[in-house]
Amino acid sequence: MLDIVILGRGGQGAQTAGNQLARALFAQGLFVQTFSTYGGARRGTPVTSSLRADKNPVRLRCDITAANAMLCFDDSLLDPAFLALGADDALVVVNSAQSPDALPSLGNRRIITVDGRMIARRNNMGKVVNSALLGAFVASLGQPGIDTMCDVIKATAPAKITENIAACREAYALVADQLEGAA
Amino acid sequence: MNAPVRNENLQLVSGNHAVAWGVKLVSPDVAPLYPITPQTPIFEKLVDFQSDNLLSTRLITPESEHSAMAAAIAASATGARVFTATSSQGLLLMHELLHYAAGARLPIVMFNVNRTPAAPWGFWPDQIDSLAQRDTGWVQLYSETPQESLDSTVQAFRIAEASNLPVMVNHDAFYVSHAVEPVSIPAADLVQSYVPKSVRELRLDTGLGHTIGAPIGQEGWNRSRRQMDAAMQTITGLTHEAGQEWEKLTGRSYGPLETYRTDGAEMVFITMGSMAGTAREAVDVLHQKGIKAGLIRVRLFRPLPIAELSTALAEIPRALVLDRNYSPGMGGVLHQELLAGLFGINNPPCIHGFLAGVGGVNVPVEALEKLATEYRNAEPDNNPIWVD
Repeated sequence: MLDIVILGRGGQGAQTAGNQLARALFAQGLFVQTFSTYGGARRGTPVTSSLRADKNPVRLRCDITAANAMLCFDDSLLDPAFLALGADDALVVVNSAQSPDALPSLGNRRIITVDGRMIARRNNMGKVVNSALLGAFVASLGQPGIDTMCDVIKATAPAKITENIAACREAYALVADQLEGAA
Repeated sequence: MNAPVRNENLQLVSGNHAVAWGVKLVSPDVAPLYPITPQTPIFEKLVDFQSDNLLSTRLITPESEHSAMAAAIAASATGARVFTATSSQGLLLMHELLHYAAGARLPIVMFNVNRTPAAPWGFWPDQIDSLAQRDTGWVQLYSETPQESLDSTVQAFRIAEASNLPVMVNHDAFYVSHAVEPVSIPAADLVQSYVPKSVRELRLDTGLGHTIGAPIGQEGWNRSRRQMDAAMQTITGLTHEAGQEWEKLTGRSYGPLETYRTDGAEMVFITMGSMAGTAREAVDVLHQKGIKAGLIRVRLFRPLPIAELSTALAEIPRALVLDRNYSPGMGGVLHQELLAGLFGINNPPCIHGFLAGVGGVNVPVEALEKLATEYRNAEPDNNPIWVD
């Protein structure tokens, strides 16, 4: 079972990103379950999206408490409480202009940073970072394939489809290079 | 759990949107609706269908849930097929008219998303909102998955119209309502053949001479409840029949109860709604550790299928009831209902009641494993136990 938690601020697209990622993993043959919990959520407050993917239908209906991989839309949200939702060796992708060393960490969690804001701006996406972050996340995770991810974005993005896909591919290439360099 | 098969034509939809799909396929005549978190996506999806000219149902948007139920009653009394949906405070606001709808024997179908009632304010999965309506005369079903929520919405129309009793289908906030999963959406003609529209004999019609709900003497009122009692006694059978006929069409079977690994079990979890999914995983983990656990999921809560439960529990020495609700001064509602319903049966199981997940707190597999291990040899105790 692949357990993923995405954390963002209301309005940033964490829930959309969770749904798009689920769609791409589903397109690659996995069963998925993704859900968000919010209540008095409004623009700017923290929102989490949870995603499970497995070769069998997902039966669990409880929170994810030991995620394999996590995506954080905003480095100001990266704190020990969020990191504690990951397994000890969880992969954590963070939208940040800083290097991983400058950010909080916990246990053996592997932090990867990507400057999603800069990539979004460069691709005429303004402050909308979710496609860039999805590109970075699938490069880090090794699944789903970037073409599948872009197909989903093409089918589901409400506007600026070319720009969304360009941002996704740019962030993917950046992180893939970074990981290859490190290997 | 009726998991959809990978090679079916599956769509990724949330539990709430699955309900809206069920409604669209049945295509009721009228749906009065009022939005409330976390039900609103049902309402929104129906409006989307209507905007795309895919839904012929007349949507009415009154000023409150009380008015939505009033409109549902009035529409249903004319013989129309009626759907509505709500949650928590909205359901509580409807309370007065829930009695009316059942007393007038109107086969309205309502979907309720289980959510904590205020105070304190919250939006979390907890079933006390609908359980507090248990004495209103509505049939109550509890769904575990988005697929089941679609399937049960359709089946509810069949059960309601065969009994002239209103049916409320429930699923838990977020864990089911907002869970986006693969769902098999049946063909419209399949659903239409499953719930063909019929003309109701007793209806308000200017060409007929009936009244509904007029003042009545004591004996007449008493008789109305005896008739409801007789109708309630048909529900378990109708639920079986609706589930079996659905299986013939879709391959997915449903009944008043669902059992999982209960053969030869030394203990079973008994629960309703989304908790059953996690309990299923716990059962498998416990088997790996040499503990023969099983699961009984109560899908039909009103009327509670006591005879079926007695049979399912006949060979089982111990039952751990998991209630995601709390009745102050009493404990878990399902626990209390089982203690009462199973009292006096031959060879009853030792029943333990747990308040698990009240207010939507997380109940992971490990918590259920721990309960099973700790209570494997415990003495009987009728007091409910809060689960940490």
